[in-house]
Amino acid sequence: MTSRIREWLEVRIGLDELVRSQLTDYRVPRNINLFYTLGMVAFAAFLLQVATGILLLIYYIPDDKDAFESVRLIMNQVPYGWLFREMHVVGSNLMVAVLLLHVSSVFFFGAYKKPRELTWVVGALLLLTTFAFCLSGYLLPWSQLSFWATTIVTTIPTAFPWVGDFAANLIRGGDKVSGVTLNRFFALHVGLLPFLLLGLFAVHVFLVRRIGISAPPLGTEEERPWLTFRHEDHPDGLPFYPYFVSLEAVMIALYFVVMFFIIAFVPALFLPQDSLTPADPLNTPEHIRPEWYFRAPYEMLKLIPNRFLGIALQVVLVAIFILWPFLDLSRKHNLLKRPLLLACFLGTIVVWIGLSIWGSY
Amino acid sequence: MRYLLPLLLFFALLSPAQGAWTDVFHKEFFHPEKPRVEKEVCLVCHDSDLIKPQYRAIPAEWRKSWHYRNDVSCQNCHGGDPNDAAKAMLPASGFVGTPKPKDVPKFCGKCHLGIMQNYLESGHGKALMATGKGPNCVTCHGAHDIKKANIDLINEKLCSTCHTYERAKVMKASLMLTEEKINQLDAGLKTLRAGLISTGDEEKDLFRTQAEYRTLFHTVDVTLVKDKTEEFNQRLAAIQVGVQKGFQELRFRQNFAVFIMLLFLGLALTLFFLSRKSE
Repeated sequence: MTSRIREWLEVRIGLDELVRSQLTDYRVPRNINLFYTLGMVAFAAFLLQVATGILLLIYYIPDDKDAFESVRLIMNQVPYGWLFREMHVVGSNLMVAVLLLHVSSVFFFGAYKKPRELTWVVGALLLLTTFAFCLSGYLLPWSQLSFWATTIVTTIPTAFPWVGDFAANLIRGGDKVSGVTLNRFFALHVGLLPFLLLGLFAVHVFLVRRIGISAPPLGTEEERPWLTFRHEDHPDGLPFYPYFVSLEAVMIALYFVVMFFIIAFVPALFLPQDSLTPADPLNTPEHIRPEWYFRAPYEMLKLIPNRFLGIALQVVLVAIFILWPFLDLSRKHNLLKRPLLLACFLGTIVVWIGLSIWGSY
Repeated sequence: MRYLLPLLLFFALLSPAQGAWTDVFHKEFFHPEKPRVEKEVCLVCHDSDLIKPQYRAIPAEWRKSWHYRNDVSCQNCHGGDPNDAAKAMLPASGFVGTPKPKDVPKFCGKCHLGIMQNYLESGHGKALMATGKGPNCVTCHGAHDIKKANIDLINEKLCSTCHTYERAKVMKASLMLTEEKINQLDAGLKTLRAGLISTGDEEKDLFRTQAEYRTLFHTVDVTLVKDKTEEFNQRLAAIQVGVQKGFQELRFRQNFAVFIMLLFLGLALTLFFLSRKSE
């Protein structure tokens, strides 16, 4: 039966040649490491978010009067509803963690340099889209935590002169977070962002495949100038399938191990007490904090004594992050041979972690 | 790039948002509730040198109390106008000042109605009403530094200021087991909440049972407490059934998640060895 299907496909799409050119004959650098699998792990994480999200959609009611109760129903009455919601919540946090690791490793290995500038830019947009996903999804359970965290975030655009209030009101659908905001965030989360993310991902993968996988620069330094387009081949490398695909599968399985470890032993890690009480616009809970990945920018906003400068600085930093390949003109890929940039890289990580810890207390 | 900094400064000056984010966050989000009771004008005088020294400690005592944590302010007990200093202590504003010992049960009973009724029927209450002397609410619970009620309020030091400890000791012994059950159930519910198991109904039932049981203390009638304890134990047993179901669900969820985790761990190890082989 299998051979008949294979033969059927071979006649129509040239399956054997496709498998050969894209999998078995396609070579990856011999010194490739586990960090190179993080992109695929992030994509698997996204697919899991889509699958669990669809299951949650069956019972979730996007209305300020019923949203919290529907989530409570999912957690306590719907068979295995708790599992899918926990996978969705833990998965969103792990996906951000994997993406941050992916970005850091790409930076460390200098894989953003010519000719991969566009790949970096699209990847940076993918990270920002994921943050937008997290923000929009955070409000949906309509809990105290989600309501007040969204209130804080949607206050931030008001710092911009002239357009600030208009932008904030446009996001919220009024001058306060309300049921209209919930509908807007739901539409974004379910109707727009998944397609945007998939589109960006398609471009990202196309660029990776078209240009070829970069080799880790540790020990060897690419000196050959890149004057015309060429696909980066690794004739002495290892086959994409089965070698690299099985490495990716190992990492994806480990991703699930971490996810189910959290679900089993610290289920409330990303669902603190305020996320278990329904939103009450008249009662602000104490010590509202954003999620761990937004704590560093949040703490930075609080440290800068002018609101506009605070937010403008963050916009500039994001712009620098997106356009970094065009700002870093050095041809050296190996970060270990660039002590100043290495110090900046490590300094950024230390400051980020420091601000995040500070923001937690 | 060279125009970036001047541009930012230009917009920073134009922006209506001149203050720092921390001011906005602190004002709107960090401690929005506590200032509600802190805003009362009573505190303006009682926190200052304007007032006699013996009344100056009151705000500090109150801030340590269970009432403060639950937003019960001066006005809730003493009446008066909490927003207008001129009217704050006028009888027309409902100000009642410091109650006489005999009036204390009614003063506290505005909110703690069930407890007041049981207390007034008790030996303590009858003695107070008949003679104007005898233990009232503040004798055991304090006036402003009110602690969360617990069974340790029945102790030899406190009880023997008026009479021997013997009867109180018997009473405490009969309360102890039920009180322990209540504490165990409370701890169990906290564990379930941390495991994301819904505990809403059991929590409400336990709160109600605990509140009613504690009103029973105030009769200081050992026989009545012993008789009623069985009834309360049955109610607690019903709550216990719900809590046990919650723990079963929690264990099932944990075991299920561990099972899937081990499956993926096995898969990861198998794939790892396969990848080594293919290398």
